[in-house]
Amino acid sequence: MQVNPFYFYTSSNLVELTGEKADTLEELLVLLRRCSGSAIFYHVFQSYRERHFAAVKYHSDFAQWISNSLGEEVLAERLGALDIRDFTSIRALREAMMEIIENHLREHPGIGGQSGKTPFFFCQSVSLVMPTKHIAWGLDDFYRIVKDVGIRSIHYHLIEARLRLGIHTNDFSYWLRTSLEKEALAERIEDIDIHLHTLEEIRQMILQHVREEMES
Amino acid sequence: MSPVRLTDYEPIIGRQTIEELYLLAEGLKGRRIKMVNSTAVGGGVAEILSRLVPLLNDLCIQTQWEVIKGGEDFFEVTKKIHNALHGEAISFLPRMREVFLEVNLENLRQSDLDQDLIVIHDPQPIAYIEGKGQTHAKWVWRCHIDVSNPNEEVWDFLKGYVEQYDVALFSSPRFSKRLTIPQFLFFPSIDPLSDKNRELEPEFIDRILERFYIPQDKPIITQISRFDRLKDPIGVIKAFRMAKRYVDCRLVLAGGEASDDPEGESVLDEVRTEAKGDPDIHILLLPPTNSLEINALQRASTLILQKSIREGFGLTVSEALWKKKPVIGSAVGGIPAQIIPNLTGALVHSIEGTAYQIRYLLSHPDIAKKLGEYGHEYVKEEFLITRKLRRYLLLFHVLFHPGERIIYFDKDAPPLPIAG
Repeated sequence: MQVNPFYFYTSSNLVELTGEKADTLEELLVLLRRCSGSAIFYHVFQSYRERHFAAVKYHSDFAQWISNSLGEEVLAERLGALDIRDFTSIRALREAMMEIIENHLREHPGIGGQSGKTPFFFCQSVSLVMPTKHIAWGLDDFYRIVKDVGIRSIHYHLIEARLRLGIHTNDFSYWLRTSLEKEALAERIEDIDIHLHTLEEIRQMILQHVREEMES
Repeated sequence: MSPVRLTDYEPIIGRQTIEELYLLAEGLKGRRIKMVNSTAVGGGVAEILSRLVPLLNDLCIQTQWEVIKGGEDFFEVTKKIHNALHGEAISFLPRMREVFLEVNLENLRQSDLDQDLIVIHDPQPIAYIEGKGQTHAKWVWRCHIDVSNPNEEVWDFLKGYVEQYDVALFSSPRFSKRLTIPQFLFFPSIDPLSDKNRELEPEFIDRILERFYIPQDKPIITQISRFDRLKDPIGVIKAFRMAKRYVDCRLVLAGGEASDDPEGESVLDEVRTEAKGDPDIHILLLPPTNSLEINALQRASTLILQKSIREGFGLTVSEALWKKKPVIGSAVGGIPAQIIPNLTGALVHSIEGTAYQIRYLLSHPDIAKKLGEYGHEYVKEEFLITRKLRRYLLLFHVLFHPGERIIYFDKDAPPLPIAG
């Protein structure tokens, strides 16, 4: 079988200010409906990367604001419980978030117009994706590079990839499965709970799974 | 300031990040960039440019720094414009507009516009944009000021220029305005190699504290700020006294006088009166050149406060976090951008809240330590000069790829686009 190499990319983003802000839950809902896909991508997938050093309660900026600023813990928990691994498109994620907020507003009709302590400023991002010099031809290379590569590469291939591929996997698992025929290893990496760990912890978990595979 | 190389930062931010910066700069080599501001020394903008310009040149991006020249009358006008952007009511007379424009156009005539990119900092040289038709360069307006509640007459005058630029850059989402041009978020930054932030020997820190007669016999709580009512030094003393009923500690209030504030001296008198000769309250009037002393005071502190009533970005918060100090800050200006509640610090809204957080963090040193450590990591991610360098490199790519939301470097084999 011919092995296709794995090219490691890295991604950086510039945060664009949209000038839109929500003071209340109702306003958040309106803006959530009409904001760009890039805004949702940024607030759910990218801004978290800058806080990768800590396993925070909520990855999503929306859940965080609803908790910290509005004090609506039940809603924040419901939004925070959305597993981004279940979504392969921004459209589906947007609809799921809106449905949760709409249901909450129906259950608690008085709270929609209450202002938070601070506004939620909608941002969106422009991303720049570029190849690093790292290329893996086999599992040994892959292990060595994952150990050493910048944390942005891990985020890009493991987290951002889902929406890019539009399937329930990530770049690492996809390559391990299709190119090296390492189905079990691919599944173990897919099963890593990206909500509960820092990116460095996730890197160590990937390394551990690969090490076990190499030793087996 | 000694010449700096990007590799000098490798022990701080890591080889991988340095490699990424070189990768980002690869496609920009040989581009010509000009930065224009109003002062070569003193003030945050000059401090940032004095580091950023050599770093860009180190990456083979030809970067010049130009300082607008003007007489006393010009800088009187720009000072008034600055205050008006902070909301002060001024009479913006036709003569003031004339002086402002004459000086801008005179400088513009002598400026080499044969650049790829021109970055204008703050309002003083904003009318350089009148030269847009003479060059193929992209134009960027970097606003370091909070313009969220400006004097409308002055803002309308400036807005006419701002909207001719290709993009505008703001320090915080809450500082920006609705504009017809794209706006990007550019946090201010600190330099980890500067005297204010670099590592210090413990013996040096001890000597500085001895020099200021500050015993290190109990926890030290510090606010580094000029003596200005908007920094609420009286509120800090009140919070300290409330907390001291429960936990023994010292307070250090250190900073300069606000030279442009006629009330500066009376604020200092009020602070001294409020302290009532308490031997546990240390009031230090320091000149702005005392960077090493400020660094030592921060490093010797157990907790740092920034209890401002109104604030610009409040970079003293990042300076303290960089030193792994737990910070209690007011939820004003740019402070909430630096303090993520209960992760990188404590955000407060009152004197009572400040006192409570002092008590809490002095009683829970393990939690205080964690806040400081996370704060350090967050500053490393977002508020170092190297992060600013990354933002500028990204911006340059964005400007050279107009309309693209995802820019792929490897055009031959682009990954699949994001599913809509």
